Amino acid sequence: MSAAAPAPGPKEFDRPRFLRVFTALFFVFLFAPIALVALFSFNSTRSLQNFKGFSFQWYERFFENESLRDSLIASLQIAFVTMVVATALGTLLAFGLVRARTRWAGSANVLMLIPLVTPEIVAAVSALILFTQIGMQLSLATVMIAHITFSISYVTVVIRARLAAVNPEVEQAALDLGATRWGTLRLVTLPELFPAILASALLIFALSFDDFVISFFTTGESPQPLPVRIYSAIRFGVTPTINAIGTLMLAFSAFLIGLAIVMPRLLGRRESGLGVLIGRDTA
Amino acid sequence: MLLFAIPLGITLALSFGTTDDLGNALYGWHPENYEQAFDPLFFPVLMRSVGFALATVGLCLAIGYPVAYYIARFGGRYKHALIALVVLPFFVNYLVRTYAWVALLADEGLVNGVVTDTGIRDEGIRFLNTSWAVIGGLVYGYLAFMILPIYAALDRMDPALIEAGKDLYGTRWNTFRHVTMPATFQGVLAGAVLVFLPAVGDFVSAQLLGGPGTYMIGNLIQQQFLGAENWPFGAALTTVLMAFLAIWMVLYLRSAARAAREAPA
Repeated sequence: MSAAAPAPGPKEFDRPRFLRVFTALFFVFLFAPIALVALFSFNSTRSLQNFKGFSFQWYERFFENESLRDSLIASLQIAFVTMVVATALGTLLAFGLVRARTRWAGSANVLMLIPLVTPEIVAAVSALILFTQIGMQLSLATVMIAHITFSISYVTVVIRARLAAVNPEVEQAALDLGATRWGTLRLVTLPELFPAILASALLIFALSFDDFVISFFTTGESPQPLPVRIYSAIRFGVTPTINAIGTLMLAFSAFLIGLAIVMPRLLGRRESGLGVLIGRDTA
Repeated sequence: MLLFAIPLGITLALSFGTTDDLGNALYGWHPENYEQAFDPLFFPVLMRSVGFALATVGLCLAIGYPVAYYIARFGGRYKHALIALVVLPFFVNYLVRTYAWVALLADEGLVNGVVTDTGIRDEGIRFLNTSWAVIGGLVYGYLAFMILPIYAALDRMDPALIEAGKDLYGTRWNTFRHVTMPATFQGVLAGAVLVFLPAVGDFVSAQLLGGPGTYMIGNLIQQQFLGAENWPFGAALTTVLMAFLAIWMVLYLRSAARAAREAPA
């Protein structure tokens, strides 16, 4: 990324106006449905056509509903466990892939990408069949295992890119200066990787919390993860309570992204978490 | 890695199995599961999935390319902010986004409210349960996967090339066709694969925005496992889907590798 030098000149000259209008319309198309869901979650009546007045009643309904609350807690538990385990395993795997010079590393690198391009439903069905064949009762634990499986690849891809960019001479310098291997890892390598680790942890939390397809196939009877509950509710029709849940989930996702962007900066890093995720360092 | 390979292997094994009288899955050699997948009863569903996914790719390209082009070339210092805005909605739960369209397009929904209130038509328009609703849901769901790679390709490209094309008396169209398009072809291809893969296996959009007439292979698989309880048939369908997608992936990777070789170092 070179510095974003504003060089309008001839560009402005042939800037096609219709593209500008088209892009503006595109953003309306992108945000209008979500904005309307959020707006109508505060509607005082059941109507999805007329906004009658402001009220919190659908949010109250949600929090008063004990089984929905259990689902929310279940989803948070799953996301948390998935985040911790997948981030730890994925980081270890990234170290193995980058540092180990064995003849397996090449094929392992390719194999790792397969989960990322497999349709979710294939992964979900495979996990379901595996769990039932080895006689595991479907529960929150099976959802967690399935989530961890698909999450590890994401972590490894992000961390590996970062690890490959770490200058090995810095580590060698630390070793030359008498640091132990563990000391080097703790004081040199891990701090370099920290933004990537944090960003992938938050990404995994968001992915796991939002995941529907894999949860749907691997969950037990109750409590079910929140997205699965939403799905069954939508099938029975549109109700304002779903508007409220959707808005809450929206706010929560926005919060997580904000955290991914802001937290490394608060800790005195120049890179933003989002920059790490899309593979470039935005200052 | 093993965590991933073993379940796929068991799925493959089960896809040749059969069910006993109680509906429990048994292993064995029963290739008729695959014959059933190509049965006239189910084959149209497979074709419909591919058709819907291709239509989704086409629409995503038609919408995504101009947007990516505008942001990459004319975004100026707002470039990063605009791309962040494109990505942002995709962190909203896919179910909630699909639900937003259900709420908009339902018979009692907002669009029909406007249509009847303003007197454009006396009766509302039926949107749900149509193929277009399902394809629209897929487009809305996966659009970012198309825009991001195209944007990346356009961003890498030297804008001076476009100006050179015009200086050499290329018309706008000719410049686009001979300069911009070849330079971004790999991005388009990557976007097409990234949209096609999840779209063809999707069942949420068809379930919520469509009806039995618009079911896709994902719905069929889901029914076999959670409704009809014919797991071996479901496993066979899953294997067909996976094999079909693997072919696409291999073709794509070869094309990408060739492009990387031919690119000037």
